[in-house]
Amino acid sequence: METVLEFENVTKRFPGLVANDQVSFDVRRGEVHALVGENGAGKSTLVNMIAGLYRQDEGEIRLWGEPVSNGGPRGAIAQGVGMVHQHFMLIHRFNVVQNVILGFEESCSRFGCLDLRQAREMVEELCRCYDFRLNLSVPVGTLSVGQQQRVEILKSLYRGANLLILDEPTAVLTLQEVRALFENLRRLTAQGKTVIFISHKLDEVLNIADRVTVLRRGRVIATVNAMATDKKQLAEMMVGRPVLFQLDKPVSRPGETVLEMDQVVQGTDAGHHKLNRLTLTVRRGEIYGIAGVEGNGQRELVETIMGLMPYDSGDIKIQGRSNRGRSVRDIRAGGVAYIPDDRQQRGLSLAMTVWENAVLGLVRSDRYSRWWKLCTDRIRDFAARKVREFDIRLSSVELPIRSLSGGNQQKVILAREMSVDPELIIAAQPVRGLDIGAIEFVHRQLIAARTAGKAVLLVSADLEEVLSVADRVGILYNGAIVKEFIPGELETETIGEYMLGAGKEAAVWTES
Amino acid sequence: MDRKLKIRLLRLTAPVGAVLFAVLLSSVFLIAIDKNPLTVYLTMLAFGLGRMDSIAAILFNATPLIFSGLAVAISFKAGMFNIGVEGQYFIGAVCAAWVGFAMPGLPAVVHIPLTLLAAMTGGMLWALVPVYLKVKRGVHEVISTIMLNYVAYSLVHYLIADLFMDHNQKIPEGLGSALIRTPKFLESAMMPTIHAFMALWGVELPGYIYVNWFLMLALVVAAGVGYLLNRTPLGYELRAVGHNPLSAEAAGIRTETVYIKTFLLSGAIAGLTGLSHLLVFYEYMDLDFPKNFGFNGIAVALIGGNHPMGIVLAALLFGFLSRGAEGVQTILGVPMDAVVIMQGIIILSVVVVAGILGRYLRRLEKKEAP
Repeated sequence: METVLEFENVTKRFPGLVANDQVSFDVRRGEVHALVGENGAGKSTLVNMIAGLYRQDEGEIRLWGEPVSNGGPRGAIAQGVGMVHQHFMLIHRFNVVQNVILGFEESCSRFGCLDLRQAREMVEELCRCYDFRLNLSVPVGTLSVGQQQRVEILKSLYRGANLLILDEPTAVLTLQEVRALFENLRRLTAQGKTVIFISHKLDEVLNIADRVTVLRRGRVIATVNAMATDKKQLAEMMVGRPVLFQLDKPVSRPGETVLEMDQVVQGTDAGHHKLNRLTLTVRRGEIYGIAGVEGNGQRELVETIMGLMPYDSGDIKIQGRSNRGRSVRDIRAGGVAYIPDDRQQRGLSLAMTVWENAVLGLVRSDRYSRWWKLCTDRIRDFAARKVREFDIRLSSVELPIRSLSGGNQQKVILAREMSVDPELIIAAQPVRGLDIGAIEFVHRQLIAARTAGKAVLLVSADLEEVLSVADRVGILYNGAIVKEFIPGELETETIGEYMLGAGKEAAVWTES
Repeated sequence: MDRKLKIRLLRLTAPVGAVLFAVLLSSVFLIAIDKNPLTVYLTMLAFGLGRMDSIAAILFNATPLIFSGLAVAISFKAGMFNIGVEGQYFIGAVCAAWVGFAMPGLPAVVHIPLTLLAAMTGGMLWALVPVYLKVKRGVHEVISTIMLNYVAYSLVHYLIADLFMDHNQKIPEGLGSALIRTPKFLESAMMPTIHAFMALWGVELPGYIYVNWFLMLALVVAAGVGYLLNRTPLGYELRAVGHNPLSAEAAGIRTETVYIKTFLLSGAIAGLTGLSHLLVFYEYMDLDFPKNFGFNGIAVALIGGNHPMGIVLAALLFGFLSRGAEGVQTILGVPMDAVVIMQGIIILSVVVVAGILGRYLRRLEKKEAP
């Protein structure tokens, strides 16, 4: 089979670290080639070299037998490389056609005037060719995330991409959207396009990829046929040691109720409530998991508990005390820890240093300050201790936390939140975007906390995570818990139906 | 080269580079008005730095700008833009003026601190309105502070021309009318100059330049602001709110309280801005009380990178520029506006350099991490 891309002993160094070390592998025409590896394994550096954003220090990268031009990103596009980033680069007010031609308007202009009709025809032709279903004339902002991703792929195809690179494409998608994406990818490869697929989710990788290249600490560990391997083997290659997918979980011994939400109603959006008479209890010594499709009230649920959002009626009691009208600080002082779903916006102050972030919100405690004086030495000591304890990889706690990888950032949040010895832990999407090692770490921490008698509320869009970590699960749909069960009690199919409103509105979802 | 050292060095040298770039660009204007840039700059340097009275004048010019620059910077650190320093120092000054003429019989050790207190209270009051509106009603502080500046001007004019107007002025028979001004300040309210103090060290300052103890106070306040920002819980929370109010809120920091405290503090510092002129140079407040220290404070804070040390240096730079401008105007006939143009160019080039450098530094820091 024809080789599309070839890496030969490619090394890329950054001061202080070797991001890619003697990397060799090849990608063949018409295949989906998965790149897997933990955060910091060198996947991004590698694709950034293909996309023309970096240049290798040693070795050679060949595209269709030619060395990669050093014309930067534009040069890479000219050589047929298309990159679909994890965060979409779309203009929400523009419609699909306008977004697709953005930056390449010359191809459909006449005498310096944009010919939108011609552009539309060209985009329609592409959609027909690859069977992409999209409404071309609506603003991109009104499309679902899955559809926006399709627009991104269209953009690359429009620019003549033959090699598509998708960076963590499924991180933001629902189950149904992932299925649709995979269908589209299969159609693309069937017509001779080649796809490089970057992901942590090994199930998906095994489902879609033809071959898998595993990276660890900048080195290629192996390139294997997806048919000839399994999840366990891949994970072991990635992490460098056997990985237990079965979490070691002692039996839950629930005690008294710590969190009690009673008929909570919050917000009105287009006639229906964000939280609609939501009732649940979380007890000491158990992890209560919230399953459900995102946007069904997950954010409102955690933010009303934390006092970040007011609620209209009902009551939320934490350790028997209502949280109504109490400040976030007061609620936290009552023994509540919070791991927000958006760690960069809600969890951290990216421009501040690691040690400053390690005590965000805690500096008023007499451990870290004496009336008017901040005990910076003590805080630095604390941060350094936590860095060792949580195995946070960094070169200095004096750096802005922005410079850390997502997994390490999350570990800082975890270290901070656990340090107050909470009674109730609110964990919203605690492992989103993390790699296997970090996920395992976070889950073990949560389970250890619940075994030690804490109450944990785990909110996650990943059903598998909820089912494996939680002791009791509530399915959140339209702002209410529609079903409560113990993992193992219900079939996955049945859970899926509840998540989509017990079949009532399932049709709406398959549409997108 | 050690990366951390490089980062620090770049941060320090960037403003200097920006100033040099601005000097280069300003030459174009000087050539356009048919002056030799080299002569102009050399004259500026020789006149501005070569004479004791110039040094003293630079210090005197810089004093109010240190206060106003600090006031802008501290609110900026908390993510707010206090454009209202201008109005706050006007109100502060008029409050200090009232205490200065209306309270006879106080010893100087009581009277001077009392005027400072009055000025800070006035500035704080004028800052209270916008921050209250921001926290309670979501009114953006830029809009409300700009508007309040004009209210402050008019209010102060009204007070000077009406309520505080000195009606007991001795006017020689048949010679003009009374000045529109407040009564003269009492001797006990006047801040002494530092001439006597400097003489102790063998430095003789010319008597016609009024560099005074407010300069020392400004330096103390600058040090205090630096300490507050980096060494106190409030300073920490202030920076956390400034960098990311969302995460600060989620972490349990009361963002509204931080906004209010910071803005009031900013207003209090702003209130001191005009005193170095008011209580030393003028002996009463009239309609000629100098304007624009507040607006120039924004530029000073910007060039000083919102860092107390940087602000002191930037204020000195501004002091030097206006002194130098006087020099080249008198000696070479270069209009003062040429120097104003230069100030503008410096501000622009600092913004540009800061933008480019910021991106570069972030990349460096990123590489630092594994």
